[in-house]
Amino acid sequence: MISHRQANAQRIAALDERAEALHLKRGMGIADARAMHPSIDVVEADPEADRRLLESLADWCDRYTPLVALDAADGLFLDVTGCTHLFGGERSMLDDILSRFFYQGFDVRAGLAATPGAAWAAARFASDRIVPGGEEEALLAPLPLAALRIEPDIRASLESVGLRTAGAVMAAPRAPLARRFGVSLLLRLDQALGRLDEAVSPRLPVAPLSVERHLAEPIMLTDEIERLVKMLATTLKVDLERRGEGARRLALLLFRVDGAVSRIAVGTSRPLREPLLIQKLFHERLAALEQDIDVGYGFDLVRLSVLSAAAFDMQQADLAGETRDDGADIALFADRIRARLGDSAVLKPVAVESHLPERAVATLPFAEAPQRVSPPKKPDKIQDTKPGFRPERPIRLFRSPEPIEVPATEMPEGPPMNFRWRRALYRVARAEGPERIAPEWWREAAGQEDAPTRDYFRIEDSDGRRYWLYRQGLYGASQVPPRWFMHGVFA
Amino acid sequence: MTPLDSSGALWNLLEHNRNNCEWKLTVMATSAVARETVFALRRQIAKIEGTLPERLEAPAGAAPVDADVTPQNPTADVTPQGLTIVRRGLAVAPPDAFLRTGAEGLDTALSGGLPKAALSEIHGAATRDAGAVAGFALSLVSLILKQGPRLPVLWIGTAEIFREAGFPYARGLHAVFGIEPEQLLFSEAPKLLDALWIAEEAARMTALAAVILEIRGSPQRLDLTATRRLHARAQNAGRPVFLLRQAGEAEPTAAPVRLILSAAPSASRQTIAGPLAGSIGRPAFTVSIGKSRTALPGQFTLEWNPDEHSFEERRGEERRAANSVPVVPAPRRGKGPAAASGAVLAFPAVGSPAAGDQPSPSERAAHRRPRRAG
Repeated sequence: MISHRQANAQRIAALDERAEALHLKRGMGIADARAMHPSIDVVEADPEADRRLLESLADWCDRYTPLVALDAADGLFLDVTGCTHLFGGERSMLDDILSRFFYQGFDVRAGLAATPGAAWAAARFASDRIVPGGEEEALLAPLPLAALRIEPDIRASLESVGLRTAGAVMAAPRAPLARRFGVSLLLRLDQALGRLDEAVSPRLPVAPLSVERHLAEPIMLTDEIERLVKMLATTLKVDLERRGEGARRLALLLFRVDGAVSRIAVGTSRPLREPLLIQKLFHERLAALEQDIDVGYGFDLVRLSVLSAAAFDMQQADLAGETRDDGADIALFADRIRARLGDSAVLKPVAVESHLPERAVATLPFAEAPQRVSPPKKPDKIQDTKPGFRPERPIRLFRSPEPIEVPATEMPEGPPMNFRWRRALYRVARAEGPERIAPEWWREAAGQEDAPTRDYFRIEDSDGRRYWLYRQGLYGASQVPPRWFMHGVFA
Repeated sequence: MTPLDSSGALWNLLEHNRNNCEWKLTVMATSAVARETVFALRRQIAKIEGTLPERLEAPAGAAPVDADVTPQNPTADVTPQGLTIVRRGLAVAPPDAFLRTGAEGLDTALSGGLPKAALSEIHGAATRDAGAVAGFALSLVSLILKQGPRLPVLWIGTAEIFREAGFPYARGLHAVFGIEPEQLLFSEAPKLLDALWIAEEAARMTALAAVILEIRGSPQRLDLTATRRLHARAQNAGRPVFLLRQAGEAEPTAAPVRLILSAAPSASRQTIAGPLAGSIGRPAFTVSIGKSRTALPGQFTLEWNPDEHSFEERRGEERRAANSVPVVPAPRRGKGPAAASGAVLAFPAVGSPAAGDQPSPSERAAHRRPRRAG
């Protein structure tokens, strides 16, 4: 028996058959129930866990149709339009669902009808019934008002005027009903009867393409899964070719025998349709997830879906010579690393128009970085030859500048004579600078105090190592003495 | 020729070799075809014995075999056709197997330069030398890119090293080494094991110009086996893998070459009016050869020219700044060989044993030769 707190009292939320046999009812106070039967076992309700269970069941129901929606706290809508023939007709599909749930230990009721409203009513009030199209009215007429999915207060007021069945409401004139009980009643009625369309919003986006394979014998080994992936990808390739597309995002769904579903997704940095490459990507992903996937008694259904596809760019052949193939090689290499180690495992620097050193280069994940459109420059055409000031930039930059201690400078605005960085003392042999870099005032919020300017120095220590230091702020500009930071290392 | 169809002759020849016979004379007397066969067999012997790379005379097509191939001038361009390199598990390396740094002393000591299709270790004594270590590796990459197609370069590091030594800065790399940002790929691995995996996968790719793997310290995982795997992949792909080890000790490694890098004080900037006092000029490195199969340990000071993208060797003391570095570095603790044990070569070593004047293979059979530790 499960209790929950309602109106400041512990009441029975749900109960099993044995408790029902003791004449306990839902909504009864726990104290009363305990007084009647001291030996009952009461468990606190956990709506979160119920929700998770329902969602995992919804995932599992994905094997019947991609359009699965949650219905309140205890129901699932499956839009099986066009799917029933895959399971040998409506009756055998319904039987299959019911028997599989039964063996998983669930007490399930199901109804199949042409409208969601009628199916809802059929599942709850006429179990295991298949309602042919057009017979919704006959189904609903004898059922109580609760079968219409209406608010409890509307139901109570309908009952108070003597309308106790759905049939009675249907027979009543519409205009007074709408005026007295609101539009929602007629809306629900029309939806149940199929006069109005009701959209079931699926829990997960429907994949544009997916292929699956039912297995007579559950598979457990990673190798077998990979082999299946390649087989499915081969089938998928035909569909992708017909659409002129390549997959950008793929998901592998593994349906375990006992109802759990593992969902493994990989992304590609350019459209992909080659089965072998798809298999390679999933190989890396499966290797990374080896600990997390619980095989249990094995998987009896494997599905490969294309979550998003993009036009397969045939123009790649136009690019000059070997660059084309190398680009593809590197994209696949990056995808494989990404599949195993996450999106930010391969980074690409992108130059940004900014004079702040840390903003001048953005390192983006490989898939997000813009692909080079122009052919690579010839070595002899580097446009570096233009004369003028070219500031020296370090080859390594600390992600966050590290504070250093500067005990003394020769001149107030000059470079330090020595400094302490990471607990080691460095003697400055030579210094160049300062190069003043002001903050980007156009990026600061209005009214915010200006960030202090930085004076950068190139420093060579007594051992010949070259560093990039800066002093934040000016001497005498404010009460706070300026601080020194280590920002980069030169070659 | 495969080991199968030539096994009989091969083993005979192997025995021959072991008995230290004067087989060179036999070679000279035979025809060109026979000579070619013998060379193929010698390669097989080297393969079976697992010998280290060594110099053999050229097969047919080259000049008649001279029993004493001694370059008269070792500092001159080592003629590729005069040499055939045999390396383990691989057939003859192409003539451009070596990356010439352009610094004659270093190239001579390494007998032609750094191997292109191999793992090369570049060590820095402390994390604060990361600038010099990375700078030297990148200048080698820059030399590779200057010669070959402009393929991307992958730089793999653990999160630790990028935090401790700084993340590579694409603007600076472009300014100093001429490597475009589009050519750079970085990979930051959370753990060393992941970094090694990425490196192994990357090392077998021919679509990358070079792979840089940066590791801090001396981790257990990076042992002889791991370096051997990297080396084998680099050999097969024909691409260099640079293993940068910051603050690491010299450990057994499969890499044929280990260089120990430290920063050298730079020369002053050159202006029209002469050197600018107190200025910091071009990047300079002190390179010590920690391990090489052909060279004795030595130390060189190299200066990188960021405009020409080439190395210049700094000779003598005339251009060295006032605060010079000690010529012989202080010995460090560690189980590897001390870097300072060999001769200091700051000028072309004419006729030195390191310069290619090696004893004939028959005098130094592989199993008798003392292997250099490390």
